[in-house]
Amino acid sequence: MSAPRHRLALLAWAAAVVASTLVHDPVVLTAALLLALLVSGTGRLALAGRAVRAVAAILLLISAGYVGMSMFSGTLETGVLMRFNLRVLLIAVLTAWMLREVRLVLALSGWPAAQRWLLIVQAQITLFRRLAQDYRLARRSRSTVAPTLRQRYLGVSSLTLAALDKAVHNAETVTQALRARGALDE
Amino acid sequence: MHIPDGLLSPQTFLPAFVLAVPAWWWASRRARRQLDDALLPRLAVFTALAFLLSTLMLPLPGGTSGHALGVALLALCFGVPLAFLAYTLVLVLQALALGAGGLTALPVNALCMGLVGALVATGAYRLFAGLHTHGAVLLATWLSVMVSATLVALVLGMQPLIARDAGGAPLFFPFGPAVTLPAILLPHALLAAAEAALTLLVWRHARRRHWLSHPA
Repeated sequence: MSAPRHRLALLAWAAAVVASTLVHDPVVLTAALLLALLVSGTGRLALAGRAVRAVAAILLLISAGYVGMSMFSGTLETGVLMRFNLRVLLIAVLTAWMLREVRLVLALSGWPAAQRWLLIVQAQITLFRRLAQDYRLARRSRSTVAPTLRQRYLGVSSLTLAALDKAVHNAETVTQALRARGALDE
Repeated sequence: MHIPDGLLSPQTFLPAFVLAVPAWWWASRRARRQLDDALLPRLAVFTALAFLLSTLMLPLPGGTSGHALGVALLALCFGVPLAFLAYTLVLVLQALALGAGGLTALPVNALCMGLVGALVATGAYRLFAGLHTHGAVLLATWLSVMVSATLVALVLGMQPLIARDAGGAPLFFPFGPAVTLPAILLPHALLAAAEAALTLLVWRHARRRHWLSHPA
């Protein structure tokens, strides 16, 4: 898919999310949810699973709270329950679909500054994750017993500071490389 | 304390966009003057740290989630405009990379956590730094998280009052402030204390390394 199509897909997702907040009929929301899953093509079950995993905890908490309070006061309205569950699930499916199809870096190709920021921060996130994984693996390979809670806290604090030093050094190198290649000139 | 997509009414997120757009414009103008080759990599690293801190989410009954923010850390190290912009980027990344938070909730999340959180953190730090520097960092972080959490709870709690159907049933989030305030504030009082300790740890390190670009 070309960069304009990624951008178009991102804009279509944004429009669909906003539009879904204007629909309140549970039947229409259900139809939109089924249509989104149908049109999303192969892998729709994985898509649905990803969407459900993303919102299941929060929806279960809100729904259980609503049912509990409504039963206590004797004013349970299933329409309300269906409406917010279906809307949040529909948006989650649309977002999971967008995440599967759209490459953000390509979608932002019209905005070089935003693209640059995204790349720099994504690189840092990857670096932090790798540092944390390196630390965990190094710790596990050198210790036969599980660390105590105090050792864990001390380990996390020293890891955070070491990771910060390393990440700042790495980010400075990347910035200098970008500057040397003229990427920060405009 | 993200609000997910689908719980806020257009009566809430559209005015929030109207408020957030000039705030982003103001912050980006200030950031353009402030950002240089030395500051950019540090800000990127701290933004990534804030992103990672806020990915460890615990769903809360009040319709949101509990997690560390990193806004106070960003504000104490880089000032309000950069902290606000950096946290907005964190929210956008979370919405677009993880599906957490979301597009319609973005302006509310950015204003409540990014802007107000940063303002409270720097304001409280300036107020108390004369008494005890480290204590001021701890208190500024705790207050920043609690004020942001209160605003998020109030915005969510307003939903059944401002968006109802003809029969009076809520169209979006169903609980009022009597539920959202305690459900969000009580867990965040503890989370804020943990975040304050982490902020102090990193802020002291940043000060030792001369990374701070803010008078704080």
